[in-house]
Amino acid sequence: MSSPAAVASGQIAVRRPPGRLRRVIAVLRQVASQRSGALGLAILVFFVFLALFPDVLVGPLQTAVSADGPPMAPPQPGYPLGTDELGRSILNLTVHGARISMIIGLLATLVTVVVGAVIGIVSGFVGGRTDAFLMRITDFFLVIPTFVLALILAPVIAELFGTDGEILGIRITLIVIVVVIGLTSWSSTARIIRSQTLSLKERAFVDRARVIGASPIHMMSRHILINVTDLIVANTVLVFAGAVLTETTLSFVGLGDPFAPSWGEILNSAQAASAPGLGAWWYMAPPGVSIVLVVLAFTLVGGVLDGILNPRLRGRR
Amino acid sequence: MSGRYLLNKILQAIVTIVLLVLLNFLLFRMMPGSPERILGRNPNVSAEAIAATRERWGLDKPVLPDQLVAYVSSIAQGDLGFSFVYRGLPVTDVLADRIWPTVILFGLGEIIAIIVGVSLGAYTGWRRGGVIDHVGNGASLVLYATPYFLLGMFLLLVFAVGLGWFPTYGMYTVGATYSGYLDQFTDFAAHLALPLATVALGLIGQYSIVMRSSIVDTLGDEYVTTARAKGLPERQILRQHALPNAMLPMATLIAINLGYVVAGAITVEVVFNWPGLGTLTVDALSARDYPVLQGIFLVLSVSVVVANLLADLAYQYLDPRVKA
Amino acid sequence: MSGPVDPRRLVDSVEGADSEIAGQELANEGAIQDEADGLGPTDATSISQAALEREPGGPLLARRKWPLPKQADPAAPLLEVTNLTTYFTLESGTVKAVDGVSFRLDYGEALGIAGESGCGKTTTALSLVQILPSNARIREGSIKLMGIDLVPKTENQLRRYRWREISIVFQGAMNALNPVRRVRDQIAEPLEARLGQSPRDARKRAGELLELVGIPRKRGNAYPHELSGGMRQRAMIAMALACDPAIVIGDEPTTALDVMVQAQILQLLEDLRSKLGLSLILITHDLSVIAETCDRVLMMYAGRIAEEGPVDEVFRRPRHPYTQKLLAAFPNIAADRRSLEVIPGSPPDLRDPPPGCRFAPRCFAAMAICSEEVPPEISFEGVRVACHLYHAGDSGEPVTTAPANAIGPVAEVGAA
Repeated sequence: MSSPAAVASGQIAVRRPPGRLRRVIAVLRQVASQRSGALGLAILVFFVFLALFPDVLVGPLQTAVSADGPPMAPPQPGYPLGTDELGRSILNLTVHGARISMIIGLLATLVTVVVGAVIGIVSGFVGGRTDAFLMRITDFFLVIPTFVLALILAPVIAELFGTDGEILGIRITLIVIVVVIGLTSWSSTARIIRSQTLSLKERAFVDRARVIGASPIHMMSRHILINVTDLIVANTVLVFAGAVLTETTLSFVGLGDPFAPSWGEILNSAQAASAPGLGAWWYMAPPGVSIVLVVLAFTLVGGVLDGILNPRLRGRR
Repeated sequence: MSGRYLLNKILQAIVTIVLLVLLNFLLFRMMPGSPERILGRNPNVSAEAIAATRERWGLDKPVLPDQLVAYVSSIAQGDLGFSFVYRGLPVTDVLADRIWPTVILFGLGEIIAIIVGVSLGAYTGWRRGGVIDHVGNGASLVLYATPYFLLGMFLLLVFAVGLGWFPTYGMYTVGATYSGYLDQFTDFAAHLALPLATVALGLIGQYSIVMRSSIVDTLGDEYVTTARAKGLPERQILRQHALPNAMLPMATLIAINLGYVVAGAITVEVVFNWPGLGTLTVDALSARDYPVLQGIFLVLSVSVVVANLLADLAYQYLDPRVKA
Repeated sequence: MSGPVDPRRLVDSVEGADSEIAGQELANEGAIQDEADGLGPTDATSISQAALEREPGGPLLARRKWPLPKQADPAAPLLEVTNLTTYFTLESGTVKAVDGVSFRLDYGEALGIAGESGCGKTTTALSLVQILPSNARIREGSIKLMGIDLVPKTENQLRRYRWREISIVFQGAMNALNPVRRVRDQIAEPLEARLGQSPRDARKRAGELLELVGIPRKRGNAYPHELSGGMRQRAMIAMALACDPAIVIGDEPTTALDVMVQAQILQLLEDLRSKLGLSLILITHDLSVIAETCDRVLMMYAGRIAEEGPVDEVFRRPRHPYTQKLLAAFPNIAADRRSLEVIPGSPPDLRDPPPGCRFAPRCFAAMAICSEEVPPEISFEGVRVACHLYHAGDSGEPVTTAPANAIGPVAEVGAA
């Protein structure tokens, strides 16, 4: 290790340990080496691609105004996946829906994992009555039907944010969904992280840090966090799958935004337009299949990743 | 069964229910549809009318403890407030009509799913490999990734619209007259079939996977080797040794799952327009009928908590190692 | 709706990661052979009485009240194992766990099988009744029980012999007994299922068996976790005796117990042996246990036999260098227990065992030939040795010093 003085004087360049990027690539390779992992990754790449360039692929998102197709028409030349009741191309809606569903999923996952990890680490590390209290709350959220809670919370949150407009380019209604999912789904993450924290707490390096006089916050953020990162990552992918499912369901029952339709919202419109009763399968299949594929992909990758990264499972294989 | 363990679990359940009521109370205060807010927005209402309404709702008293006490005592008496949409109708009345269709759908679905899921999982777990195992695994994985309502839409499309075997909406055929109970029951059953299949299939996917995994775990246990050394037939080993032990994580799952299944059942009702709590929830949501929503939340949550408690107690019966 | 079902398990099962977990291959299911053997319900009391009246050490045949297996040969030795070879198939290779093991057990005898962990003793025992994991198979050899070769038997046919002729007492860890069933029911189980007794008679007999091993009858109502380790072990012994087998195999029956309890269990086994005229196979890594309880001992190393003979002879005048080293760590067998890790190096990886004698890399007397040729088994006065130090026609005296052309032990072998 170079002396700080030498580094500061610019004589020796600081070299980051070559770990991070290489490690990510190595893990990805491992995931791809298993059949299910490869399939999952392939599906994800496809949909991320769709989510990144919707305008390039199918043009801007069609609205009631810009719709130009015959209403509720089955697939035909010009409309490869048919049209909805407003005459919009389902292909157009589905591709744009990819971006919206994925972004909501991503944000919701971030909130969930951050809340869950913080609570898990603090609870596990501090222990005692704080732990008992936090776990009581966690168990509470695990038991109650959080979906119904989400439905009730949504209008409350909406009130808080104001009913219209955007934050960071994302419509309020979608933000509401993100927050609501985050507030109700963090429990299982918290439990998992907490138990890992508990086992880490017993390890020597934590004691050493404590002897040196490191503050609890320092220990939690530097020592514990680093070591639970692997677990968090594996858990995050699975949380993502759950978030997409939850968002879809919440949108389906009416919390979605018709102006920024996610896949769930498209299905909501389909249901409202009596598509199933009319036999308009083309309205339901594209968003439906997309949902299943994406959730499946996340689940597969998450499962494989868990096998690679979960310290407790590593011995088993 | 240890008395202290029993007491402990009941206390925990009570605490949870108390937290639920508190949460509900808080939400009621924060609801955009709270009476005072609605009143406050309307400029035509006179000040005296506002004051009178506030007094009637008890909003002029301090939040704690008076409003809280009033709320809790009214809940305890079964008064869940009044619906906005169905003017003046008590929430309890609104809910009463819709509970039993949901109970039937949900209850039957769980029972079927448990029987089929456990059997399927046990069978595929015991005889690992083979076509049924791989097909079953793949199917369960896909089912897991499919939201319940999507599955319902699919079944509706294929079996009701496509093949015409079942009706598409509702619980009874609209405007039908029946020649007797059997006739009525047949109509009911035909309408129940697809939503029931949806709920059951969704659950079977989960249960069979967990059961399979659980059975596979028991295969490595020593008492199974002992049972084999005793020369018992395979079926007896599975039924008497592996299954009772494999059912333990299964029982835990069923209990934990209840909260999630509620969400699924709600959406399934929407797809098939099944007149239960699910469709009520969605209607109330779009009409912003918060008292009804909160009433549903309370009823559903308490039911899930009670169900979990019962499952906990049943678990003690299944696993003799669990005592106080 | 996404629920708490752990999606990782979904992926696990898809990947087939559980293919290596222990489990028996399903054979054709069919009726139990017991009825085909013309065996009807047995009278509980008469058997236990008869069992108690047996002359110690006398031949089983004269005392048994129920028929022998149809194909049994009364003149044949009770158990004769010839060249037993059992391999495990793993992804990483084939583990040659048992490689050409032969031994014999006579009526009323107690044979101890000793060796380090992983030397193949348990696999040998499981091979006798073929309750091996699905990735293990007997490749060669014969196992003759009263003259009947068990190796070519099908799963169905083997059932006839399991527990009724050969039963096993496993290491008494919590899980060898089903944790969710009462002890008494588990003892009664083979009586009902295999001997066709009524549930009431079976329970009664189970009570008698419990008394026989020193557990008060009422304790039979308990679940396994409610019993102490020693009592669990006794219960398992009671269970093993349920069908009055010819042979009882004890697989490390006292390893998990403290010394006092261990002594009690060994005493119990000895009492039962003399009372019931049982034949025992005792598998353990603890030589003092064998010294106390057994008539003959079989020393195994890395899947093969090192030495075999009467306990007195082998322990007083060990011939194989492995046995010698082992015993050197025991200044006084009867008094002290010591660990066995005093020999340098570690056992070989059985996926790729060294050619020739498998102990050669760690042997102080190893010669060049030892790593080239598998040593043949030579017998002197009832003792069998597999070592190049001994040749047919020798005096049979133990060789304790390295010969002139010895190259001695080489570096560590195998995976630690």
